[in-house]
Amino acid sequence: MTYVGTDLPRIDADDKLRGATRYVGDLKPHGLLHARLVLAMEAHATIDRVLKDDALAVPGVVAVLTAEDLPTAFEGPMRQFEPLARGEIVFAGQPVAIVLAETEAAAEDGVEAVVVETTALPVVLDLEAAIEPGSPAARVRQVGGVMEGGAAMHVEAGSDGGDEAVPAAAGPVSANAVGPHQQGQGDVAAALAGCDAVVRGTFRTSWVSQIYMEPQGALAIPEVNGGVTIHSATQGAFYVRGMVSKLYGLEVDKVRVVAEPLGGAFGGKFNLIDPIVTGAALAVGRPVRLQLTRSEDFAAGMPASACVLELELGGTRAEGLVALRSRILLDQGAFGDWAVDGGVAVMIGGPYGWQAWESTSFGVVTNRFNTGAYRGPGGPQVVFALEQLVDELAQELGVDPLELRRQSAAAEGDTVFDGTPWPAVAAREVIERTQLHPLWAKRGSLPANEGIGVAAGVWMGARFPSAATCRVDQDGGITVVTGAVDMSGTNTSFAAIAADTFGVPLSQVRVSYADTATAPHSPPSGGSGVTYSVGQSIRLAAQDAKDQLLDFASGQMDVAVTDLEVVDGMVRPVGSPDRGLSVGHFAAQVTGFVAVAPPLEGRGRFAPGNPSPSVACHIAHVRVDPDTGEVTTLDYAVIQDVGKALNPALVRGQLQGGAVQSIGWALYEELQHDENGQLLSGSFMQYAVPRADLVPNVQIDFIEVPSAVGPFGAKGIAEAAVMAGTGAIANAVAAATGARVRELPMTAPRVWRALNAK
Amino acid sequence: MSEQGTARHRVTVTVNGVERTLDLEPRTLLVHALRNELSLTGTKIGCDTSQCGACTVLVDGRSLKSCTVLAVQVAGRSITTIEGLAPGSTLGVVQEAFKQHHGLQCGYCTPGMVLATVDLLGHTPDPDEAAIRHALAGNVCRCTGYTGIVDSVRAAAAAGAGQ
Repeated sequence: MTYVGTDLPRIDADDKLRGATRYVGDLKPHGLLHARLVLAMEAHATIDRVLKDDALAVPGVVAVLTAEDLPTAFEGPMRQFEPLARGEIVFAGQPVAIVLAETEAAAEDGVEAVVVETTALPVVLDLEAAIEPGSPAARVRQVGGVMEGGAAMHVEAGSDGGDEAVPAAAGPVSANAVGPHQQGQGDVAAALAGCDAVVRGTFRTSWVSQIYMEPQGALAIPEVNGGVTIHSATQGAFYVRGMVSKLYGLEVDKVRVVAEPLGGAFGGKFNLIDPIVTGAALAVGRPVRLQLTRSEDFAAGMPASACVLELELGGTRAEGLVALRSRILLDQGAFGDWAVDGGVAVMIGGPYGWQAWESTSFGVVTNRFNTGAYRGPGGPQVVFALEQLVDELAQELGVDPLELRRQSAAAEGDTVFDGTPWPAVAAREVIERTQLHPLWAKRGSLPANEGIGVAAGVWMGARFPSAATCRVDQDGGITVVTGAVDMSGTNTSFAAIAADTFGVPLSQVRVSYADTATAPHSPPSGGSGVTYSVGQSIRLAAQDAKDQLLDFASGQMDVAVTDLEVVDGMVRPVGSPDRGLSVGHFAAQVTGFVAVAPPLEGRGRFAPGNPSPSVACHIAHVRVDPDTGEVTTLDYAVIQDVGKALNPALVRGQLQGGAVQSIGWALYEELQHDENGQLLSGSFMQYAVPRADLVPNVQIDFIEVPSAVGPFGAKGIAEAAVMAGTGAIANAVAAATGARVRELPMTAPRVWRALNAK
Repeated sequence: MSEQGTARHRVTVTVNGVERTLDLEPRTLLVHALRNELSLTGTKIGCDTSQCGACTVLVDGRSLKSCTVLAVQVAGRSITTIEGLAPGSTLGVVQEAFKQHHGLQCGYCTPGMVLATVDLLGHTPDPDEAAIRHALAGNVCRCTGYTGIVDSVRAAAAAGAGQ
C-alpha cells in the first residue's frame, strides 16, 4: 500500500475533534501566574511615569513590570528586543507594562489600575506624507539604528541595472524612509516607448490581520539553573530560542522552547509575546502565562503592511508583457525588525518574463503596529496592482487577458527582478489549464451586474535546511522525530512519506514533535518551506533506517541486501513473500538488554538549495449591486501547480483556505486608524472576516509538475494559494461594471464611488 | 469589577451528564467556569466580543456561545461540551464526518463548529448548502475556507446525525 498521493484524514483529527488537544492556553503548571498587558493609549508619546501602586493594591496582583524591570541584556532595533516600550511609545496598542496575578481576573483588574503618564509627540500615520522631507519622525529614540538594523533583514537590491537612473527614487525622502530598494534591467523608457500600449495606475492596500483563531499565547517557566522553559504557540521553536537567549543574555541551552499545537498562525506567530512572558517569569521567579485577548491581539499584534503602489506597464501584441516601472511604499510600522519593503520590488514582476524593468520600493516607518509576516507577505498587495493593469493592458491591446498572461509566462532561465534566473516554473502550464476551466468559459454569458475575473500569483518558497531522525521501535513501528511545528497538516504528510519510504503500514508510523533541547535542527514553519525541506529529511531518515534494517536482516536471513524488500512491515526476499519476517522480529533483537547489533536509527539531513516556485491562478465570479456597490462572490476556482500532492485532501484544504483569505483581503479586511492613530477596527465587531455565509464553495483544480527538489516532487503550496484573489476579484468587478477599484478592501462605498466616477 | 473577593454564588448544573456544583464569583462567564473550574478546555476562547463561536456549547441541546452568559444564568440547565459528545475515545457521527471530509485544520474553531452542527442537524436534519452556511455564520474558521466544513455537515446529515 502506498500512502503518498492519497486522501488521508489528519493524524491529529481525533484529538482535535474531541477537544483533547492541549493548546498553550490550556496548560496550567503549579504556581502559575496569569498575565495581562497594559497597552499604550497613544500612538506616539514619551513615557514620563508609570504609576503601579493602585494596581499592586488589587487583591491577587503580584507584580507590575515595565521595561526597566525585565532582565534584558541586549538592546537592538527590533521589537522583539524591546518587548515593553522603553521610554517612547511608538504605536497605540504597544505593550507598556505587564501585570502578573494569581488569577486572570485579578490581572485584568490590575491593568485597569495602572496609570501611564505620557507627553504626546507628533503622530505619523500617512504613508505618502511620512516619506516626504520635513515629515515628523515616527520614532524619536533611535535604538541602535532602527533603520540600519531593519534594513539588514530585508531582501537587498543587488540590482542588475545599478547604473540606470530610477527617477521615482531620485527625490529626497524623510528619515522615516527605509531604502530605496531598487531593481532594474534594460532601458525601460525606450522599451515603454516601443510598446503597442502602456497602462498605469496607483493602488492602495490596507493593513490586514492574520486572524489565527487562537490568539497569541506563551507560558514561561523559570528553571533552577537560571534558564527558562517556554511553552509557546509559535511557528519556530529554534527561532524563539535564538532571539530570547540573545535578549536575556542566556546561553542557548538555558532556553528550552516547546512549541505547542498551533491554533492557526499564518505567519503571525513569531516571537511576539515570548520575550515579554520570559522576562516576566525570570523577573519574579514563577511560571507566567499570557494569552492575549482578541482585542489585545488586534491592537498589539504584527499584521500585514499597507502599501501604495504606482505602476506602469507596457506590452506588444507580438511579445506580450514587455516593460514595467514601479514605485512602492510599504508601511512597515514603528519598528525595523522585519518587512517585505525590499521583497515587493522583486515580487511586482509576478510570474512573468519581462524585457526591461525599473522597480523601486521604500519601507516607511509610521506609528502603526509593526509589520509581521502574513501568508505570502507582499503578495496580495502586488497582485492587486499588477494583475489589474495586466487586464487593462490586454484590453488596450485587444487580446484575451489569459492569452496575454500565457504569452508572457515566466520560463526557466528568464530573469527574476532581483537578477537571479527563474528556476523551473510551471506558469505557462497553470495559465493554460486556467484557460480550459469551466468557470472561465462562463464569462461570456452572464446576467447584468455579474462578472468573472482572473489573476495569477507566484510564491518562490523558503529553502530552510533541516534534519530529522527515524527510530525503529521494538514492536516494529517507526518513530520519526522533528522539531518543526505542524502548522498545516505537515505531520500527516510526514507519516505518509515515512510509511512509503520504509515499507510499514501508516498505523505503525509515529510522528513525534521534539523541543529545542532534543530535536534535530528544524526550521520555522513558514515560507511554504516545511514540507519542502523537512519532508525530504524525513524521507532520508526513513531510508537510512531501512538501509540499516536490511543490512542487519541480510546477515540474519542469509539473503543479499539487494534481494530484500520491506513491504507492509515485513522484511522479505524479493519474489518470496511467504518467507518474510516482521520488522519487529529484527527490531526486538537490537533493543533488548543484550543485543547482537546496534539499534536501528536513521538520520536525514537536507538543504534544498534551489527554490521550486508554485504558481496559482484564481477565477472569481462576482455580482455587484449597482445601487450599493456591494460585491458578492458567487463562485470561485483555484488552479495551482503543487508539484506533487502528498495528501490531495489536505492540499485542497490549503488552497480553499488560502482562497477565502484572499477574498478577505479583497472585500472585507482593513485595520483602520483614526487621525490620532487609534485603532478603529480592533475587534470582530468592526473588522470583517469572511464567514461561512459570505463565501462560496471553492473549486480546486491542481496540477502536478514535479519539483526536482522537494519530497516526491512536492512544492511549497500554502502561500501561492493566497496571492491571486485580490486581482481576480478586482478584475471580476471590472468585468461586471466596467469600473476599476484601486483601493483595498473593495468595500461597498469604495465600489459605489468607482461606479459613480465613470 | 470590584465584586472580586466578595460573595460567591453556588451554582448547580449538569455538565456532560454529570451534576456539578460550583462556587463562583458572580461575574464568572460560563466559558471560564467550564475551562477553569471543570478543566473542560476543549471549549475555546477566540475573541472577547461574542463573535467567533469558538466557545460554542449546547445548553439543553441548543447551541450557545458560552462567553455570552454568566455561569449563574445556566443554573439547573444541562450543558454539553465537546468532551461530552461521544463516550471515551470514540467519535460521534458529526465528529467522524468532520474527520473523513476534512472539516478541520488547526482545530481551534472545531469544537464550536461541531457543536453548532449538532444543533443545526437536530432541528434541520437535511439542510441545503445555504442553510448550512447560514447556521454556521456565527462560527469563524480561518483555515479551511469553509468548503470542507460544508462537505462535512452534509456528510453528517447523510449519515443520519439529525435523525
